[in-house]
Amino acid sequence: MMLARVADSLYWIGRYIERAEHMSRLADVMLMASLDQSESAGQSARIALAAVGEPDDATAAMDPLGAAYDLLFNREDHGSVVTSISRARENARQVRDQITAEMWERLNLLYLRITAKDAEREFAAGSSSYLHGIVADLHLFKGAADATMSHGEGWRFLLVGVYLERAQLIARLLDISFGASRTPVTDHLVQMSLLRMACALEPYLRVYTSDIQPRHILEFLLFNEEFPRSIRFATARMEEHLKAISRHAEATGAAPERLAGRLSSRLEFADPEELAEVGAGDILKTVVNECARIHGAIYETFVAYPIDERLPA
Amino acid sequence: MAKIKSVEDAPGLPLPEAAYMPGRAYDEMFLADGSVREHYEALNSRMQELSPADLAERQKIQEQLFLLQGITFTVYGADTTVERIIPTDVFPRIIPAAEWAIIETGLVQRLTALNMFLSDIYGEQKILKDGILPRELVLGAPSFRREMVGLYVPHGAYANVCGSDLIRNEAGEYVVLEDNLRVPSGVSYMLANRDAAKRAFPGTYRQAGVAPVERYPDLLLTTLRSLAFDLRANPQVVVLTPGVYNSAYFEHAYLARLMGVPLVEGRDLVVHDNIVYMKTTVGLRRVDVIYRRVDDDFIDPLTFRRDSSLGAAGLFNAYRAGNVVIANAPGTGVADDKAVYAFVPEIIQYYLGEDAILPNVETFLCREASQLSYVLANLDQLVVKAVGASGGYGMLVGPHASQKERDEFAAQLKADPDNYIAQPTIQLSTAPCLVDGRIEPRHIDLRPFILSGEKTVVTPGALTRVALKRGSLVVNSSQGGGSKDTWVLSQ
Repeated sequence: MMLARVADSLYWIGRYIERAEHMSRLADVMLMASLDQSESAGQSARIALAAVGEPDDATAAMDPLGAAYDLLFNREDHGSVVTSISRARENARQVRDQITAEMWERLNLLYLRITAKDAEREFAAGSSSYLHGIVADLHLFKGAADATMSHGEGWRFLLVGVYLERAQLIARLLDISFGASRTPVTDHLVQMSLLRMACALEPYLRVYTSDIQPRHILEFLLFNEEFPRSIRFATARMEEHLKAISRHAEATGAAPERLAGRLSSRLEFADPEELAEVGAGDILKTVVNECARIHGAIYETFVAYPIDERLPA
Repeated sequence: MAKIKSVEDAPGLPLPEAAYMPGRAYDEMFLADGSVREHYEALNSRMQELSPADLAERQKIQEQLFLLQGITFTVYGADTTVERIIPTDVFPRIIPAAEWAIIETGLVQRLTALNMFLSDIYGEQKILKDGILPRELVLGAPSFRREMVGLYVPHGAYANVCGSDLIRNEAGEYVVLEDNLRVPSGVSYMLANRDAAKRAFPGTYRQAGVAPVERYPDLLLTTLRSLAFDLRANPQVVVLTPGVYNSAYFEHAYLARLMGVPLVEGRDLVVHDNIVYMKTTVGLRRVDVIYRRVDDDFIDPLTFRRDSSLGAAGLFNAYRAGNVVIANAPGTGVADDKAVYAFVPEIIQYYLGEDAILPNVETFLCREASQLSYVLANLDQLVVKAVGASGGYGMLVGPHASQKERDEFAAQLKADPDNYIAQPTIQLSTAPCLVDGRIEPRHIDLRPFILSGEKTVVTPGALTRVALKRGSLVVNSSQGGGSKDTWVLSQ
């Protein structure tokens, strides 16, 4: 049992942390890819930019450093790393009594680091090591959460946020690359960049070798049971945490754990051969829609429920 | 008393260019001949060993620690908001056991009498009938809450958390400058400063034999629970905060965390059938004791200020029905009103038949015509304060003000004399502080924290506030003050 507002904040800390990590990684991969003078580089940049919600912007793709800079430091941009980290910290401040000192200090340090006066100079001096540092710090935050916070309800809300955000972000990345009405990515280097954006290159290679193919990428990032950034893995964790949280809830009308369970089963029992026949468009669309429904159900059940229904008789 | 008069007399400190000149004030560390007071000897020998660079390094580590932990207050500017730490000095202020014993008994006596006073004026009002205090001075005070008259308050403990401000005059005597019985803050700094001081001077700390302050959260929780003794077994205690934008938010979260109770905002609470609930993930859960860090005016829009969104609608009715405890009780402010303050020695005498152990600062009530004319004639000697204001606002420090400022203030005084009191300007005691790489004397005060429920207890420690500007007598953090740790020696 915890305050509804606190659960809400923890959930959003999870989402913002995951978003900040994903965006930092996209920026890093985009910059690395742009070192090559090839058509592949432009294509990688376009995928990254599309994944962060920029329209297919050819001028931005021509200036990957500027685009990465924006992705990091633009406070006007709701998806930027600085916005996500600021919001995660703002939420953490509101639930300062619920998270551990180790988590708070790690997140606060990240915030101080990215909002410091010389942050932009540091980035300009070495963008890759800067981004690497941000991602490593975000991992340290997650590690501190795992190692120091009780694995109870609050921790579960945090992780539901992380995994829901992750499922959505990976689904979006796949949709841009292989979705219906898109020209599927076939270039080897671009596919490598894509796997890097999902932090999946090496785990993928161990399963499928360096023979990189779109259907294998889809299979890996959608259905793999063990890879923590596959949508199936993320959904299964969501289901697990929501089930544990729901055990104590009084009202079960919207039942987010049931929605998560249904999505999880669908991914678990999907036939990879079907992907080859009908494409990934449908299943990716389902993932995005179901994640939105789970989010709504979490609010309806735990956070913004109607008071009248919960008053003592 | 003789004071350190010249650079030659100044004590030898590791930074020779910093002549230590406390002036007329009583210095906490040094005697008039420049020798070190006995209880500061351990610290002094450590200070002699440290180079300026060592000290600067310790100061820096301390500041970074505070910043990292988020022990900050927020300054809202035109287009940017900045989070600042309250500057914390590296050197602890040290109080010998014998001095502390007087402070402790004095504070318990004072709060006991003030709670009896509150019980009385919200009850039979005997003290007013006996003519000890002017009736209109109490009943006309804006902080007097008619809504509280005749209500039951557990143990008669109206003010459960009190932070009294003590200063030392030129003779080194501790006197009470004001009582804070509403929502006093600063206790988190007492705890955080202790944490930092232990890191800065671990050996000295151990050697000195310092009384621990770390039990404060536990004592606070015990006090709060004791207020619900006839309500429910295992009462649910919460801390009510105005929210993350309040300048003391860090403290609210800190105390909730250390007590292990929920930190709630008004929007988390629902009142139904005069019972207070909090909205949780598993539905509504009953709340029994609210340690509120929200002012009286804002706790319930139905009873007090209608435009408040910080409290919970119906909270006061639930309180009146005896279904929830609010700590501190609404209406305690009348006992720390700056005009009522002048009568505290009489209040102690009236209820306890004792002389006040800790004296007041001499206070002139401008509402009395004779005292007003004295105040106007001596504005350049006096500190004048608005009765209802706090935090160093609305005050005039006569000797430090310009003639123009004094003239303007005199006009305000004449227009509304009831609203002002005046006190002689007291040179607060000084203690060594590290300022811009030099060790210099700065004026300090002392805010100990007293808890009152079933029992009244004083935590052996305090927040020592520091006026960081050279010569300044204003220690409030809103006016550029800092703080330092306070070591109360066990023997």
